[in-house]
Amino acid sequence: MNEFLDQFLIESRELVEQATTDLLWLEAHPRDEHRLNEFLRALHTLKGAAGIVEFAAMAQTLHAAEDALSGVRSGQKALTQVLVTESLNCLDQISVWLDGIQADGEIPADAAAAAEATMALFRQTPVEAGATETLANWIEPLLAKFPSLAPASRVAIRYTPAIDCFFHGEDPLNAFSRLPGLLAMDLILREALPSLTDLAPYDCVFSIAALSLASTETLEQWVQAFGDSAEIVPLRAASSAPLPLLQQILQAQIELLEVEREASAPGIVPSIVRTAVNVLRHDGRMDEAGLIEKAAGETELGRQRTELLAALKHILRIEPRKEDHPSWAAGEVPVGTATRGVRVEFGRIDKLVKLISELIVVKNDIGYSADLARRTPERVLASKLKDQHAILDRLADQLQRSILDIRVFPLRQVFQRFPRLVREMATSLGKSARLVIEGEATEADKTIVEGLFEPLLHVLRNAIDHGVEQPEVRVAAGKQPTAIIFLRASRTSNQVIIEVEDDGNGIDADIVKQAAIQRRVVSPLAAASMTHEAIIDLIFEPGFSTTVETTALSGRGMGMEAVRTSIERLNGRVGVESAVGQGTIVRFSLPFTIMLTRIITVETAGQVFGIPVDAVVETITIPRQRISPIGRERAFIHRHRTIPLIRTTDIFGEVKKAHAEGDVNVVILRVDSEWAAMQVESFGTTMDVMLNPLEGVMAGMAGISGTSLLGDGRVLIVLDPQELVR
Amino acid sequence: MSVTWRDDATIWLDGDCPVEDAEPLLRLLQSNPDSVVDWQTCSHLHSAVIQVLVIAQARMDGLPGSPFLRDHIAPLLMQANADKRAFEPRPEMPM
Repeated sequence: MNEFLDQFLIESRELVEQATTDLLWLEAHPRDEHRLNEFLRALHTLKGAAGIVEFAAMAQTLHAAEDALSGVRSGQKALTQVLVTESLNCLDQISVWLDGIQADGEIPADAAAAAEATMALFRQTPVEAGATETLANWIEPLLAKFPSLAPASRVAIRYTPAIDCFFHGEDPLNAFSRLPGLLAMDLILREALPSLTDLAPYDCVFSIAALSLASTETLEQWVQAFGDSAEIVPLRAASSAPLPLLQQILQAQIELLEVEREASAPGIVPSIVRTAVNVLRHDGRMDEAGLIEKAAGETELGRQRTELLAALKHILRIEPRKEDHPSWAAGEVPVGTATRGVRVEFGRIDKLVKLISELIVVKNDIGYSADLARRTPERVLASKLKDQHAILDRLADQLQRSILDIRVFPLRQVFQRFPRLVREMATSLGKSARLVIEGEATEADKTIVEGLFEPLLHVLRNAIDHGVEQPEVRVAAGKQPTAIIFLRASRTSNQVIIEVEDDGNGIDADIVKQAAIQRRVVSPLAAASMTHEAIIDLIFEPGFSTTVETTALSGRGMGMEAVRTSIERLNGRVGVESAVGQGTIVRFSLPFTIMLTRIITVETAGQVFGIPVDAVVETITIPRQRISPIGRERAFIHRHRTIPLIRTTDIFGEVKKAHAEGDVNVVILRVDSEWAAMQVESFGTTMDVMLNPLEGVMAGMAGISGTSLLGDGRVLIVLDPQELVR
Repeated sequence: MSVTWRDDATIWLDGDCPVEDAEPLLRLLQSNPDSVVDWQTCSHLHSAVIQVLVIAQARMDGLPGSPFLRDHIAPLLMQANADKRAFEPRPEMPM
């Protein structure tokens, strides 16, 4: 791949990510103009980047998106649900292209067609925009009717019940009494005013328009019961006129100060003071210029900044802004700002990561010396070294944790895209499903948060396509017509657990067994002796699928295997539990951070190896006689289970001819439902290591997941149990 | 039935007014367009009933106890009635 494309990929991915976060934030906070501008700027930069690498299709697509969104900036158009969805689709499409470039090293050849499809969506938006115009027709009078409530309103909602809705037991007005955050409600008659004599009392001839202070997301969920005949329009601040120049300049100084708060760049403060004082004097606001000068008089740098900020904010009268963000007050962390607070270049973090791994090497080194010294007469030295080790250990731990925290993001970032997707997927299959998200504040490493979207989407698709039944089937089975799918995240000591649970029809082990035999995933003989869990686990095998026909969503042969592969790439594991008729739980167990691995060291063939503790079931010593040859392989029985012995010679070369008698040390490994054991010369200790991926000629070597350094300076090779066991 | 005609030319809505009340209420309002609707003891009005009241631009008497009816439905009905009176030659005294 050429250098330009490389750079383009890095930049574009960041921009797509930023734009997506901005968009999702805007969906819930449509009045945040600052974020809207950030979002549009990201789109614009993306377009520019596409132009530089001559990726015309991408540039055109973004141009279409910009066109569709330009009305939003000027305040002529609301950022509707449709617009958000289409913009997200557009960003998804760009991600797909970026993946393509990453894989093939060149711009995808079929990009033009995909671009055309995405642009067609935006071209339809004017039709929607037309609808928005008519929406505006009801929103304006609604806001005018309740002038005192209008400023507090975040969302306008309109519902037009079916004309025969009373016959179906609907009571729409009273249903609206339960609208979250209901501020005001109006009833709009379909005709100007039907005559009383002709009125059919059981025909519903009105629409309901309401103002709410709940978030768009909450209302989206609430409104699902009403189907397509409800519209939700996020409201933007009525006055979207740009700030006067003076205010813009002062605002920019505040932003500069806030950004520079962390970094120590003393040079910036005097220039901020100069600018602010000059513009204020120019505007004849001498008193306020004096305020700034007074604040600048502070000698201590930190205080000076605080004072300046306070003065600037006072002049702009923006200090008490809490009412702008009622949800913040309620303790909800604003997603965008929380993660946007630190913008650290990835390269810098990686440098820090390298530094910390060196520090850990030193730490291990001291521990090693302490051990050494204990065996020598200098006991005093030993205890001193031990103390030092303890201190260094604590320091390294803290440093490590704080550095890893830079890379930590809440799962909300990936979760929040699913409620809409689930609804869309269910609707496309004529099913009804609701997604309930729990624990979205759980945090995980950036790589994990980013890598979760695809596997989760896959699992959710499967749940809706194969798990959730048609509404009538559900009702017949005594369930609610709308299926509930839980998407949960939780954190154990060092793992992040993510579950997708549906209340659908579950996985029938017999059908799985038949399908697996049919598709030669497993032999009939082997299948007969498999446990219920092991059979259900077969859905993760390559080539497995129970569907005969391909639906719009799944069944294209890209089954659960893809899910397992993506999760294993993140060093995680996938499990599934299912009860026929009751539902299925798919569970991902992922490491909290992908950089720190807990390993146990073993020695074999004169080398020290590390094995991730996750995969180790037991370390045992068994009499040599218990190992029996089975064909070309060897195995032994332990706790009623036949465990094959991995031929370490294949991996590590010839092992010293050991004695024919005596005991053998083995490490029992388990990956998914596969068991295996590895014969080793001796067991070492457990430790946390930072894994360095294999580079150069060693890159891609099977069976090894990375290396680290030992206290005595030897290289520790960390084995990849997955490769070993298979 | 929760819709009753009282001798003082008042239509009385009492308690929970279900969807079935829409038709008798409409008949009463058709034959007595100027009658007053007393809804002070009303606890629930079905949408169909509210619709009849809005279209008839009925004159409501008092306020019911239910917060939803008082805060959200009463303004709608008052507005409808005000629209009606705006077109009448001799406006009546406001409620």
